[in-house]
Amino acid sequence: MIKFENVSMVYEPKQQNAALDDINIEIDRGEFAFLVGESGSGKSTFLSLVLREKRSTDGSVYVAGQNLNRIPSRRVPKLRRDIGFVFQDFRLLRERTVFDNVAFAMEVIGASRAQIRERVPDALKMVGLEDKARRKPTELSGGEQQRVGIARAIVNRPSILLADEPTGNLDRKNSIEVMNVLNRINQNGTTVLMATHAHELVSEYRHRVIELSRGQVIRDEIDGQYAPMTTVVNQDGSRELLVGDSAVEYDEESQVAEDKKDEDQ
Amino acid sequence: MRLGFILREAAKGLRQNVVMVVSVVLVTFVSLTFVGASVLLQLQINQMKGYWYDRMEVAVYLCDDTSTSPNCAGSAVSEEQRQSIEEMLKSEQLAPYIKEFAYESKDQAYENFLDQYENSALVDQVTAEQLPESFRVALVDPEKYPVINEAFSTVQGVDSVIDQRELLEKVFQLVRVASAAAAVVAIVMIVCAVLLTGTTIQLSAMHRRLETTIMRLVGASKATIQLPFIIEGVIASLIGGLLASGTLWLLLKFLVEDKLANENVGVAFISTSEIWLVAPILLIIGIVLATISSVVTLKRYLKV
Repeated sequence: MIKFENVSMVYEPKQQNAALDDINIEIDRGEFAFLVGESGSGKSTFLSLVLREKRSTDGSVYVAGQNLNRIPSRRVPKLRRDIGFVFQDFRLLRERTVFDNVAFAMEVIGASRAQIRERVPDALKMVGLEDKARRKPTELSGGEQQRVGIARAIVNRPSILLADEPTGNLDRKNSIEVMNVLNRINQNGTTVLMATHAHELVSEYRHRVIELSRGQVIRDEIDGQYAPMTTVVNQDGSRELLVGDSAVEYDEESQVAEDKKDEDQ
Repeated sequence: MRLGFILREAAKGLRQNVVMVVSVVLVTFVSLTFVGASVLLQLQINQMKGYWYDRMEVAVYLCDDTSTSPNCAGSAVSEEQRQSIEEMLKSEQLAPYIKEFAYESKDQAYENFLDQYENSALVDQVTAEQLPESFRVALVDPEKYPVINEAFSTVQGVDSVIDQRELLEKVFQLVRVASAAAAVVAIVMIVCAVLLTGTTIQLSAMHRRLETTIMRLVGASKATIQLPFIIEGVIASLIGGLLASGTLWLLLKFLVEDKLANENVGVAFISTSEIWLVAPILLIIGIVLATISSVVTLKRYLKV
């Protein structure tokens, strides 16, 4: 479904540090994979290559059998209709109801009113929000808002669902709701690729784990755990290597801060 | 369905961005008014040319007692000289250039003078004696005036050769300067309008970045994403163009038709019907410029 062949991505040709460095990965139809790694490890670049927001500087990216480096720009919208995308910050339209937010994804690709009336309730049912169709996003909890975001991503029935830190802004209870929805979608045959820092979820749900670091795949386990080894700089300036949850917790906090910084820019 | 969506989005953009849209409308209005004024002045020149050139002739004035030209030697033209001049006009050499010519005696000149200056106080002071007799020569090609001038300016009995069109050229020159000035202002204003339209579209695109990001990622076509913004710019420009056309129509109606044309009966003026030629030009210019500046702006600021 998604295949990276010797993919490299260099943003600034003068600098030597590549965002992705000779990646080889294949994700099959119907798989559920976590994409983990520190901020700046290449997760976002990976996702944007799948969406053909960017073209890799080297190697080939295949999605649904098409070589994305070869297809012309005018075919890109068609490609994206087969990929659903879930944002970390939900990106719902505040002035529209839940129903209209989901319908928006159909409207803009020219779906008929009848199709919208048929499919939007299905999508809302899939995420368990069929009784909140008339609400505005501001009246919903974070977890519910993210489920609206997921309903919007799947309403056009894509074969791939990409999620970029979908639980990044949610507490544990809401995160689990969202994970359950993603699992259900995956069980219906949709390939799910989720970039995340949520170590507990990764370790609990036991899907394939692909870990990136400095643009390279350093781990690829079927049934993996979120078990990174991280260098931690102590307050006195000394460094030590931590394994497991304590490292992750530290790491996650600093990364959330970094993510925020990125967004502010 | 999608067309309806695109139009709704464009309308939303216009509402969200009212202040900027109004400024685009006004700047476009002013710039297109100057474009239109420049075009109308050109049309006025053409109108006058068409009207006057048919009536304008080369006048070969003959000597009379008061002439000072060396050709006259201080005396009025003789019957002999007059006949030889007429022969020359009929000659094979000059015939190809001359459409027709006519002799105008002092009395006829006086009658024409009376017609032309009917209401003027000059009439009382002028007598037939003071007006020179002349040959009125209409040319096949008015531009070939120098040929006639060369042929007659040194002939005995000819006081002077005057191309009446030269007098008009001075008037035309004035109108041309006014037209060029309007064109310069128009160009500067058009640059303003293009830049402002671009800025407005840019703002609008930033305003709706959330929508466009979602649209992009769910696979909306480039047209669906960009058209609402382009339509927004085009509508603002169209309103500006319509205002400009309306203003020019009012100018034509109340300044040109009702005032200038009434006060100068002998002069051919353009009329309000000219607006049907100018308005479409203005609207097309407005649409094209708005489209170009929107497309260029979106290329830079709206990822698709």
